[in-house]
Parts: sequence; structure tokens; C-alpha cells
Amino acid sequence: MNRFSIVRLPTLQATSARVAESSPGRVLRAGGIDLLDHMKEGLNAPDELVELHAVGGDEGRALRGIETEADGRLRVGALVTLGQLSGFEALPAAFTALTDAAGHAATPGIRNAATVGGNLLQRPRCWYYRHADLVCLKKGGDMCFAQTGDHRYHAILGGGPSYIVHPSSLGAPLTALDAEVEILQNDGTTRRMPIAKLFVGPTVDPMREHDLAPGEILLAVRLPPPPAGLRSAYTSAKEKQSQDWPLAEASVRLRSEGGTLRDVRVALGHVAPVPWRSPQAEAMLEGQAPSADLFERAAVAATEPARPLSGNAYKIPLVQGLLRQALHAAASVPLPQ
Amino acid sequence: MADVKHTLSLGFGASIVKKKVSLPATEARPWDATSELKVVGTEVPRIDGHLKVSGQAKYTFDVAVPDMLWAAVLRSPHPAARLDSIDTSEAAKQPGVRAVIEVAKRGERLLFAGQDVAAVAAKRPEQARDALAKIRVKYETQPYVVETMEATGERAPVVHQAPVKERRTEGDEPGAGGGGSLRGNVRPLPESARGNVTQGLAQSDVVHEGVYTTPVQTHSALETHGLLVRWDSRKSMTVWCSTQSIFSVRDEMAEVFGLEPRNVHVITEYLGGGFGAKFGASAPGSRLGFIAGQLAREAKAPVKLMCDRHEEHVCTGNRPDSHQTVTLGGRRGRLHAIEVKSYGTAGIGTGAGVGRNAIGIYTRCPNVRVRAHDVFTNGGPGTAMRAPGHPQGAFALELAIDELAAKMKADPLALRLAHDEHPVRRYQMQEGAKAFGWEEARERSAQGRERQARIRRGVGMAASIWGDFGRAKAARATASVMRDGTIEIKNGVQDIGGGIPTVLAQIGAEVFRRPLSTVVVRYGDSEYGSSVGSGGSQTTSSVTPAVRNACEQARGELTEVAAAQLKVAVKDVRWDDEGTAHGGGKSLTFAQVCKKIDGEAIVATATRPATYGHEPMAFPGGPMVQIAGVQMAEVEVDTWTGVVRVPRVLAVHDCGRVMNPLTLRSQVNGGVILGTSYALMEQRVLDNDLGRMLNPNLESYKILGARDTPKIEVLLTEVYAGNNNTGAVGIGEPSTIPTAAAIACALFDALGVPVRSLPLTPDRVLTALGKVPAPGSNKATLARRRIR
Repeated sequence: MNRFSIVRLPTLQATSARVAESSPGRVLRAGGIDLLDHMKEGLNAPDELVELHAVGGDEGRALRGIETEADGRLRVGALVTLGQLSGFEALPAAFTALTDAAGHAATPGIRNAATVGGNLLQRPRCWYYRHADLVCLKKGGDMCFAQTGDHRYHAILGGGPSYIVHPSSLGAPLTALDAEVEILQNDGTTRRMPIAKLFVGPTVDPMREHDLAPGEILLAVRLPPPPAGLRSAYTSAKEKQSQDWPLAEASVRLRSEGGTLRDVRVALGHVAPVPWRSPQAEAMLEGQAPSADLFERAAVAATEPARPLSGNAYKIPLVQGLLRQALHAAASVPLPQ
Repeated sequence: MADVKHTLSLGFGASIVKKKVSLPATEARPWDATSELKVVGTEVPRIDGHLKVSGQAKYTFDVAVPDMLWAAVLRSPHPAARLDSIDTSEAAKQPGVRAVIEVAKRGERLLFAGQDVAAVAAKRPEQARDALAKIRVKYETQPYVVETMEATGERAPVVHQAPVKERRTEGDEPGAGGGGSLRGNVRPLPESARGNVTQGLAQSDVVHEGVYTTPVQTHSALETHGLLVRWDSRKSMTVWCSTQSIFSVRDEMAEVFGLEPRNVHVITEYLGGGFGAKFGASAPGSRLGFIAGQLAREAKAPVKLMCDRHEEHVCTGNRPDSHQTVTLGGRRGRLHAIEVKSYGTAGIGTGAGVGRNAIGIYTRCPNVRVRAHDVFTNGGPGTAMRAPGHPQGAFALELAIDELAAKMKADPLALRLAHDEHPVRRYQMQEGAKAFGWEEARERSAQGRERQARIRRGVGMAASIWGDFGRAKAARATASVMRDGTIEIKNGVQDIGGGIPTVLAQIGAEVFRRPLSTVVVRYGDSEYGSSVGSGGSQTTSSVTPAVRNACEQARGELTEVAAAQLKVAVKDVRWDDEGTAHGGGKSLTFAQVCKKIDGEAIVATATRPATYGHEPMAFPGGPMVQIAGVQMAEVEVDTWTGVVRVPRVLAVHDCGRVMNPLTLRSQVNGGVILGTSYALMEQRVLDNDLGRMLNPNLESYKILGARDTPKIEVLLTEVYAGNNNTGAVGIGEPSTIPTAAAIACALFDALGVPVRSLPLTPDRVLTALGKVPAPGSNKATLARRRIR
């Protein structure tokens, strides 16, 4: 790892300006989990880490807080850790998908340092991207090694020209819960947009996964107030139960009204270069009476657009199984034994 | 001196027999079934446990000496290349750099990504690494092959252009190794056979054939390979090394630098794991000993070289993979023929055999033939890894037996019992089945299959075979009784983690009948007398008998001191359980006797003779005890996601006389954990096109974590083998042999279809269940087909 200095500035404006004005050698640090990985692996050698944690006062409190805003939305600051989020008891039960996802990521030690913002903005775990010697599409090269290489952990949906899967475990549940993100722009104003717009797919630009310009800072995610009876669920499958990245994840949100499903949202994780919303599954479920059979058909519909590579078609039945489990949990339909 | 005759009570359980042995007079009367021991065999916590958990224990990684430099090694990024030119002049000028050496020669063929090219020593580790980037190397890249079966093809690039020299270590199974001549990349290993397998298969009424594969596993010791070299004069050096064989480090450094072995002082106070890859000063795929020693010589300063995790994965050894075709024949309900044909790659190294399960366990099967082959590929060399070959062979054979049993509608336990002659293993199978609830569990899994349950459970079992490879005269131990009553035991053995210092303290406490706190054990240092490497599960059975002999001799001399004080003949001195000497109606405490020792101490040194007995059954091909073991595993599998969990494993093992049940269980736990990890997740991934390892870290090279670890029950079947004077037999290796096999058999029981490739990951389970669309269906993009 290279030598670097740490810069601590007390306001968001100064922090943002410090990163924006500069050479690529200045980067923002929050939890520092993925950043330090990059530095240790020789993928990134910044000479200055600008500490988001140094921001104080009301700005700092807002970055670290979870609170209900005047419009009824729940605002989760970007510096809230996954550990805090998963253990936050005042969160409505409707947001179970989000707290479960936060509570299942990585290890307790990492969850105590990793932040919500960092989780959404981290770079992919693709082993070609992470190999210091390889210049792949994501690093300005001309090919995605995964396409013909070992892509067991790669995308089955929305892939090409890059086949990474988005590494965030919060991305899919936040998508299912209709969250929006709040971003500090370089002119000092903020913009808000649906979380789906935060994520950049490889056809737009294979070199980045999010829509933030240099110097822009993700401040918070905001969740709409859940209507009565809203339920959500998150499921994931891993090769290893202690500290591993998911092979696939499913997040759903729905409510039951008069025996039928309403407000259904389905989002899948670790199957596509972005958190993957499934309008096909949602359309099949909306307005229908919940049943094991319906869920099975919805899971098949969710993977209908899948285009697996030669070695990762297993993710199709896998994510189908996870989506079925999540639907059973959210709709309280007992799982078959 | 004339030999002395002893009659020993040997055997296990209720089957104790009397045997006569004739032993050198220097050999203590062996402990047998009639011996009543007070300290040996009891649960003594590790004497250095508090040092380890409090961080006071200093591992090689922690050692620092004044003026020490740090080394870093430049490694070839290419799977095959010829080194055209190398220029280190710029690197030598970098800040902090004190020495730069070329390790590879111009014109040399470099055969795997990770091979040594050059090295730097600098004041700080990051200076050394930065300087590597300034070394200019020109490579001429060459064709390469990294996939095992692809390398067997006629058109595959040839890895070795000359006959291959075997690199054998104390970690290899004695008697294994050797091989025929090289053809292309394939070298046959010695065949083992009995009966006529071709005829046996022809006579069979049920035949099962399957192809079973296992991945390359890396040792992944928590402490990486490395050493610190300090030249003490032009002809002597001190070496701190993370090694499982202090004396192999001494010999390698002496040979490489032309020194007398006695002038190479090697210290390994604590060792963060080895698993077979840490013999000698160097790693199997990197000349670490030469590099550190040469840099230290050129820089005229001590040099420390520790591998990083990437290097540890690519060039410090691994367990070879395997591709095994197993054909079994059943005839009239019996196992009539076993044929195994295997190909495996140890990269550029040798030793991809598949162990002895097939030939050595089911000895009532009349026709057996095992033909294994080393396949050379452009990968880092394999080396011994905890029971070399055995877990691979056990997995293929035991799962195949279960598949045959299913075709024959036989219970797999009954089929095994009918063909295994080893009385201890048969007992273990029967007792294990009762303790595990085998029959009820098999019934439950059948019901789950019948109902097509979403969550299935299954149970499986597998066996292990290993030998007592304890060596004669390899360990020379010193026992001293000090005038202050302290007992000191010295031997230059290293503790690989099994807890040998604790066991040696127990031997001292036992012989002198003194409290453990009065016994000091000095170890981990070549100055403390020759010893064995911790490989082949031979440490305890090689060292404890030598220590006991030394203690008994010292105690004999102490008895003479007591006799003189008590004014009685030596034979009339009686020691009681408090260590007090009685004779002639008088008594002297241990302290009182010790005060009368002439000089500083009584000092005795001793070794042990060759193994003299092997109750109840010998290891095939040698006069040594055969060690038996059986494990049973339960799996739970989610058929929607393919995720396999292992809730419990029962490990039933024999390891001769149990020295310390705590350290023994700890070793068995380690073996089961390693085996479960091998079953469920471990695998080195080399990219076929790039020839490089894709997961050289501990994130995507997955190793079992706390949440994945089964509940492990250990059942010990103590055997009085009459092999040496303590009756100790090893356990390190046997305890990991059957685990993955038992888990794979359990998964077959749960699903009703086999998963014939390790690790048993969700993709393979879903494929076995027929749920994965074939390439091309579901509009799958067809990239080229790959072997995984």
C-alpha cells in the first residue's frame, strides 16, 4: 500500500470542494472498507483520503442519523453503518428487507464500520477487475474477461459489455422499497432521485456503477412511509455462511388487500450489473391471490429475460428459489416442507 | 547390553492379548493395557495456551532483530515464459534498497505464474515492494496449459522438457511416490493391485462407473511461509523460520550456502500452521531460503522474508486435484472389483496420487487395481498436504461405493462392514452407527426423498487408513533433573499446533511423579537436539518414547542418589506418588534428594528403537500399526437454492494410547473442519485463458467459517498397539481423510442423485437436481464450453 495523508474538514462544502477540485489522487473516505481493499490490492493509490466522518455539527448529525422527516419519509444518513441499520429497532417492520440485508452482509466487524453510502457506491467484486495485473473493460481495457472466462459469480441479467454483478446488498431492498437518494452537488445544492437512477449499467458506461460526479456526495437514502399492511422480505444464498458475498439475492415488497397482492415490488441482487427490478414478476403478482403456485410462476417470469453465460445458468433456478422464499415470507404463505 | 524380554498386554476394548517382545535394555518397559498412568491420558490444558491467547507467543512473523531488512520477491506474471533479460540497476538505486539479486537466470524457462525472478532487500517492506517495480524484465511468453485433462491431450504444450525430479519431504506418506517415465505431460505412478480386476468386473452382476473430481486445495496456513536470516559469521547463521521441520531448514541452508549443519542455528518458537507445506527453508515453489540468505549476505544485515497471501496461494504448495474414473463391480451382494484410474495435477510438481482407501481398507474385495497419474501443468507445485492423496481417493471411492450400494439395494454401512477386515475399524463402524443414530437417520432421508421435500437431510459415512510412521533414532531427547527439583526436557521439535510440548511435559510428570508445574519443556530450537519434522503424523510417536527413555534414565540416576542418602541398595528405593523416596525405614522428599545431586543436574539423553509391534493389524507394506478411523456426517440441503449445510459430524478414531484427550480432540476438530471446508467450498480457481489464479486471497478462496462449522463429536477407540514405549500413534492426518467423503455420501443420501465433484457448491447441487438449463436453452449466450 502507498503512503497517503488524511484530511479532515469540518463542513460538507469544504469536504466536497477538496475532492472536486483535485487530481484523482484525492478520494472521500467513509467506512473505508472497499477503499482500503483497493489500496491493498494495488488498484488505487490515492495520496489523500478526505474523511467524511470529520464533518461536524448538524451536517454531521444528519449524515449519521436515522430520522423521520416532515413529509413522513424515513431518512437514513449515508454514514449510518450496516450494523446500526440492522439493529435500529424503531424502523417500521415493513422495512424488514432492508434491515435483514444489512444484517446479513459481511461480518459483524465489517458491519460496524461499513456505511450505507459506501455499500451503495462500492466497486464490483469481479475477480478480473480485482486482479491488479489485468486491464479489463472496467479499467479502460477493451474486454470483459468474464464473458469467456470463469464467470460463475457474474451476471445472468442485463449483462454486456461488462458482466459484473452489482456488489451492494442494500441496492435491491432499497429498490424494492421505492427509496430515493439525496446527493450534494458541487454547487452546494442537493438533488433527489429514485434510487434506480443512482445505478449506471454497463451499456451506459462500463467504467462506473453510479451516477455521482467527482466531488458529489451521497448524503442519505429516503424511504417513503409504508402504508398499513406493507410487508417486505430479503433472502440470499451464499457458498459460505460466514463472511461471503451472495450468489444471488431477492427482495420483495407487497401488501395484502382483500385477499389479493398490492403494491408489489420485486428486486434481485447479485444477478445483474445493477440491482435488478423485475416488472415481469411484479405484473404477474399484482392483484392476484397469493399462493405457492403463483409465486413459482412469478419466479419463472422474473428470470425470463435471463441470458446466462456458459457457466452461470445455475443462478436462474437459484434466484427463482430465493424469490419464491422471499414471496412466501412477505405474504406469510407457509413454505412447503 | 543384552536385550530384555517383556510380556505386554495389547489390543483394544475387550480383545486384549499377551505378546512377548524383546527390547534393548535402554528401552523402558512399554506402557500397555495394564499400565496405570496418572498424568498421561488426562486432560491437561496446553502449557503455552495463555501465551498464545495473550499475544505473548512470538511467531516467526513477529520476530525482529536490530538492523533487520525486509525482502520482497519479483515473480513471473506469465504461466510460461523464457527470461530474455533482466536489469536490476534502477531498482538498486531506490530509496532504502540495500541489496538486489537475480534469482532466475537468463534463458531459463519459467513454468508458472508466480515463479521467482528477482528479489530486493530494503529498510522498509514497502520500499522493497516499490523497488520491484523498477526491475526491468523481458520475457518471451510461451504456450501453456493449466487444466488437468487438457494437459493430457496430445497437442497440449509440454510443461517439462526433461524427466522430472521428485521433491519429497517428511510430509509425504512413507512408501508412496516413485513413478514411470514421462510421456507428454503424463507420468504414471506405481500401480497397486490384487486379484484380476478385468476378470472381476466381467464376473460382476452390477457395475457402477463414475467420474469423480476434486479441486486443487491450498494449505492456507494462517502464518504464511517465511524466514529471517542473520549471518553470525562468514560460516554461521541463525535462522528464524516458520517451519514444521527445524532440521530440514538447517540442512537446506547448510547445503545452499556450503555451511556445516552445526553452524546453522534454527529457531521456530511458535508456528502458525503448516499442513505439509512447510518443510525446508524454502517453499515448494519459491527459493525463500536462498533468497533471504543471499540478500542478507550481500546487504551485510539480517533479512526477513515473509510471503504475502497472494504468494502463499500461488507458490507455497497445494493439494493436487484429481479426475478419477471409478468402476465398481458387485457380485451376489458383495463388492467384487474396484478399479480406479486417476489423473491429477500437482502443477509443475509431482505427487498427485489418490491414497490407499481402495487398496487398503476394503481388503475382502478380491479384485482391485489403482492406477494414478501425475499430470504436469503450468501451475505452482503441489506438495504434501495433510494425508497426501487420501481425501481425494476417499471421496471418489466412498461415494462410488454408496452409488453401487444403491444399485444393489444394500445398506452402505453393511456393505463396508462386509469387506473391511480391520477389527478396530469394524468396531468403529458399529459403535459409530449406534452413537450417530445411523438407521433412523437413513430412514428419515428416504422419507424426505419420497416426499420430494424442499429441505432434505441425509447421512453418510467414510473410512480412513493411515500408518504409525514413528521413527527410530530420529529424535534425541534430553532430560535433566536440576538441584532445585526442576525437571527439564529438551528436544528440537517444533509445535505445529498439535500441542507436543504439553504432552512432553506430561511424560516428564508421569515418569518422575512430579507436578506438571515443575516440568520445563524446551523445544523449537535446533540446539536442543535432533528431532523429526511434523509430517506423516509421526511427531508424538517419534518424540514421546525418546523423552520417556531419557526421563527413565535420569530417574534411575536420581534413584542412585536417593539410595546413597538412604543408605540402601538401589533396588530397595521406592518412589511414591508424591515423588518421595522411601527405603530402609526412612524417607526423603524429592527436593531433599535433588539437593544431593553432584554438579548442576543429572542429565540423560536417549532415543527410541524401531517400532516393535502393531496390534491389532499392520499397515499394508510395512511393520507399523494401521490406524483406523470412521466418520459419519449429516447434511441439510435446500433443494431450491442448492445450499448445503453440515449440521454434525461424528469422528471415531484410533490413535493408540491417548496422551491428552484435549489436544487430541483439538486435532480431530481441525481435521474435520479442514475436511468440511474441502467438501463445501475450498478450490483454487485458475483462469484457463490467462493461466493465473483468480482467487489468491482469503475472500474468494473460501475457507470454512464459524457459521459453517458442524457440531463435531469425537469418539476415541483407544488401542494398546505395542508399537513403542508410550504407545503413542499419530492422529493429525487420519482425522481429515474421511470427512469430505462422508459429507458427499450424505448429500447423495439426501438427494438420491450424486454430486461427483468437490466442492459441493449450490451450482453443482442444482445441476445434479436437473434444475439448471443446459447452455443454449433459455436463450443462453453460448460462450465456449469450459471444464470447471
